[in-house]
Amino acid sequence: MSDQFLFIALPYVALISLVIGSILRFRINAFSYSSLSTQFLEDRWLAWASMPWHIGIIVILTGHLLAFSFPGVWTTLAAEPVFLITVEVVGALCAFLCLFGVLILLVRRFVDAKLQAVTNHLEIVVLLILLIQISSGLAVALLHRWGSSWAPGALGPYLHSILMLRPDAAYLSDMPPFVKMHIATAWVLLMLLPFTRLVHAMSLPFHYFFRAPQKVVWNSSRSEARFEQRLEKDTERRLFIKASVGLGASAVLLSLGTLDKFFKYFLKQDLSNEQEAHLLSEKLHRLKQSAQEREYELERMSKDDIFVAKLSDLSKTKGKYFIDYQMRPALAFRDENGLPILLSAKCTHLGCTVGQDLDEQGRVLCPCHISYFDIKTGSPSAGSPAKDPLPHIGWALQNEQGKTLLAQDAEGRREGSIEPGQLESSLLFIVKRFSGEAA
Amino acid sequence: MSERKTRFQRLTDFLSDRLPLHKLSFENMVTKKEVPVHGMSWAYYMGGLTLLFFLIQLVTGVFLLFYYQPTVSDAHASVEYITFFVNSGFLIRNLHTWSSSCMIFCLLVHVLTAFAMKGFARPREITWWSGSLLLILTFSFGFTGYLLPWHQIAVNATKVVLQSIEEVGRYLPGGFANLPTYIKELIQGEASVGQATLSRFYALHVVILPLIFFATLGLHLLSVQLHGISQGIDNPSKKTERFFPFFILKDFWLWGLAFLVVFILALCLPFESFYSYPLFEAFDSLGSTPDGIKPEWYFYFVYYPLEILPFWIVMLGMTFAGAGLFLTPSIFKHTSRKVLSIIASVAAAYLIIITFFGQAIYEAFKGVSG
Amino acid sequence: MKVVLSVLSLTMIFVTPALAHPEFQRHFKETSGRTINCAMCHVHPDGPEGLKTGQIGSLTPDQLNTLGLARQANKPGSVVKSPILNEFGNLIVETLGKDKIMELKQSPGSLPDALSKTSDLDGDGITDAEELKDGTNPLNSYDGSPVKLLKINFFRNWFDLFMIVLATGLGFYGLYNLLLWLSVKAGRKGQ
Repeated sequence: MSDQFLFIALPYVALISLVIGSILRFRINAFSYSSLSTQFLEDRWLAWASMPWHIGIIVILTGHLLAFSFPGVWTTLAAEPVFLITVEVVGALCAFLCLFGVLILLVRRFVDAKLQAVTNHLEIVVLLILLIQISSGLAVALLHRWGSSWAPGALGPYLHSILMLRPDAAYLSDMPPFVKMHIATAWVLLMLLPFTRLVHAMSLPFHYFFRAPQKVVWNSSRSEARFEQRLEKDTERRLFIKASVGLGASAVLLSLGTLDKFFKYFLKQDLSNEQEAHLLSEKLHRLKQSAQEREYELERMSKDDIFVAKLSDLSKTKGKYFIDYQMRPALAFRDENGLPILLSAKCTHLGCTVGQDLDEQGRVLCPCHISYFDIKTGSPSAGSPAKDPLPHIGWALQNEQGKTLLAQDAEGRREGSIEPGQLESSLLFIVKRFSGEAA
Repeated sequence: MSERKTRFQRLTDFLSDRLPLHKLSFENMVTKKEVPVHGMSWAYYMGGLTLLFFLIQLVTGVFLLFYYQPTVSDAHASVEYITFFVNSGFLIRNLHTWSSSCMIFCLLVHVLTAFAMKGFARPREITWWSGSLLLILTFSFGFTGYLLPWHQIAVNATKVVLQSIEEVGRYLPGGFANLPTYIKELIQGEASVGQATLSRFYALHVVILPLIFFATLGLHLLSVQLHGISQGIDNPSKKTERFFPFFILKDFWLWGLAFLVVFILALCLPFESFYSYPLFEAFDSLGSTPDGIKPEWYFYFVYYPLEILPFWIVMLGMTFAGAGLFLTPSIFKHTSRKVLSIIASVAAAYLIIITFFGQAIYEAFKGVSG
Repeated sequence: MKVVLSVLSLTMIFVTPALAHPEFQRHFKETSGRTINCAMCHVHPDGPEGLKTGQIGSLTPDQLNTLGLARQANKPGSVVKSPILNEFGNLIVETLGKDKIMELKQSPGSLPDALSKTSDLDGDGITDAEELKDGTNPLNSYDGSPVKLLKINFFRNWFDLFMIVLATGLGFYGLYNLLLWLSVKAGRKGQ
């Protein structure tokens, strides 16, 4: 029942009072359409109260208006955590500014004798309601967090229903008490607005921007100079405030929207089991690879001959990579007569590994700077950047019992002999005594 | 009394002229400093921009140290881990790459404009020399950093460069012929590019080069502030601007803009997508060399000539260019700024053409010869 | 049963010739201007033949088994994961089937059009077919045509960009006013 009163009856009373009250006040006494300044009576407290209060309330009201005017856009934006945090932090800071300002405004009404002379009951009541409103808003912000995310969706339809003259308080029935209080107090404030100093919120001094410049004529040059000085000081102060606000806001946005990524970089990584497994297997694979390289190295240091391939597995057109005694890549082909051709695969130009495919002219290609090498002679073709031939590598053919049948050193000198029938089953080795450094 | 000064006196005179330490006060270096205003004034901002990118490099580089592992088996895996698994690791790494390129770009513009504006003239020789050293250090950063991800192009490109050093030996007379090989092995640390090379490059990139860079940068900035900014044009107008706070705030303004641009690039455009070699596998010492091995773009100015021209011509050219860089203050002592601008424009034109059209030129040459 | 299968697949391997497809590699290398190696579709960059990881010589009997089965995937829709192909290679086999691939060898350029128009294995916003055409890695989200990547990521990161543009704008506003403030102050001091 109280909901019906607070959220259906009260809003309409407030809206009617707002519209009619404002019009009447303007018609009856247009000059009262502002608030009486008390700066003349008391200005030390006022500076500390009025500034924070106005800065805070302008930001907060703008936020409320934007959120309820464009709930769709707002909700999309608020889905971004960074935006949500920014809005909530800025909102809370402004609310504290307001609270601070309104408390001082209230206190100064009570303690300053000059002020009390012009203070009527309504001034006190308005300040008290504002205090309640700010406190309840802060309470909502602190107790029911992320209001900027849920409020437009939850309260927007209610406001819509009021404005469309199809009031429905059911939207608010589940709301926590502080939210209800905040809304009800808002209606009360709207209701009282035309009859209090708050009416100045409706007479924003936009014409200041467009009016013709006023010439101030001073009656003494001394006061003029003093005024000029003061004006300059004011400009200076205004510029300084603008600069600080700009830089400060920029710093806040940077740290929330950009530099937060740098912070995240150091957090523990959230990996799924699958990802961890993938990473581990990758790592293991690479460890195996380097273990294999070490094995090769050890093998080349300690063994007199090293198995390359079964001779029958070698191809005439596609070389097989292996590692020679100097741990450099090398290629093994098979000759037309069935014997192996072994040559270094380290390009004599700048040390790239040459490709394994033989072209029609019996050459392999180094892809780095396009050098062709004839595999029979090892020499580069004319015009290749490489000038020196790829050195051949000595080899030995053994039968399955490990007996060396035929061997050839790097210069092509052969020893031993092999029957054509034995070729297919023989095994190809590289031999330490034929490799340069062993000699 | 003899007019001739002793050698020691001449040295002290030289130094006190070049490093006027009596001007070493806050007032002289900051509050009283004026920056000339003229058509080339924009060039005064390039050094500051380079500094910004260096600072970005410093921060992101330290960040990368948290995850990078400089071993042959893990280097590539750890880079992949940073890129794909660490929160915003991709952003940090991409920022590091983009900003390195931006730094080199700004540095080149800075060098060319400083040259054209005769920023090396007496008494600013020390500024020029320290700047030249910074230029070389920056390129060394680029070269050593390129190897660290340990992928196919990186390792093979490094191999090619190191092998080129050995190549120099062919053109040296008898006793010196082995010197380049010796130097190569000193850098490489073992018979071919491997773990020792990676460790050396890592130490250079992360500790040694930064330390030298800091010292040189300190000297550079000190002498810049001691001498104030050079007039820059032959007939300077009287118009100047206070360095502090006006010039420096505009500098910050530009820094903000530069950071915005490099951040957007780092967030949206992976630098590696420009590499023609797309698969970024870890280096495989037993596999074949893939084609498309190329250094970073900022080495094109020496890479393409090496591809096209005979080796010794390029080496000779590089030696002259390097010597010319350090001897600039004495060679161009009496040259007018107009002539200097022409030389700088020619150098800039060369750099732009070879960087953008190097590949086309190379293909044209190879097409004719092959 | 298992033994029979593995024997079967082993014989299959030695009977069927090696089925690497350099035609496609050559074609896309030429048209895209990017260097492409076998790792576009295969596990190992040097192709399927050899003894290293991902090459036929390194496979375990079980894997050889799967390979044998994968080689029989002549019709589209087979979900066998060949151990010598990477995800993208397997996807091609799955969508097209071996027969169609063999047919396309005559006109390698039409391979991308035959692939799915929506599949994007690395999730970088460029479809696999497009990446094949561009000669970039369909399995690496940071590899792609730079222009496309820039456009896609620009919209993906709109919020971060919005924040930093806003921050920079505010910073500029602040610096501008700071400059004005300082010049007003300097002017006053000068008097």
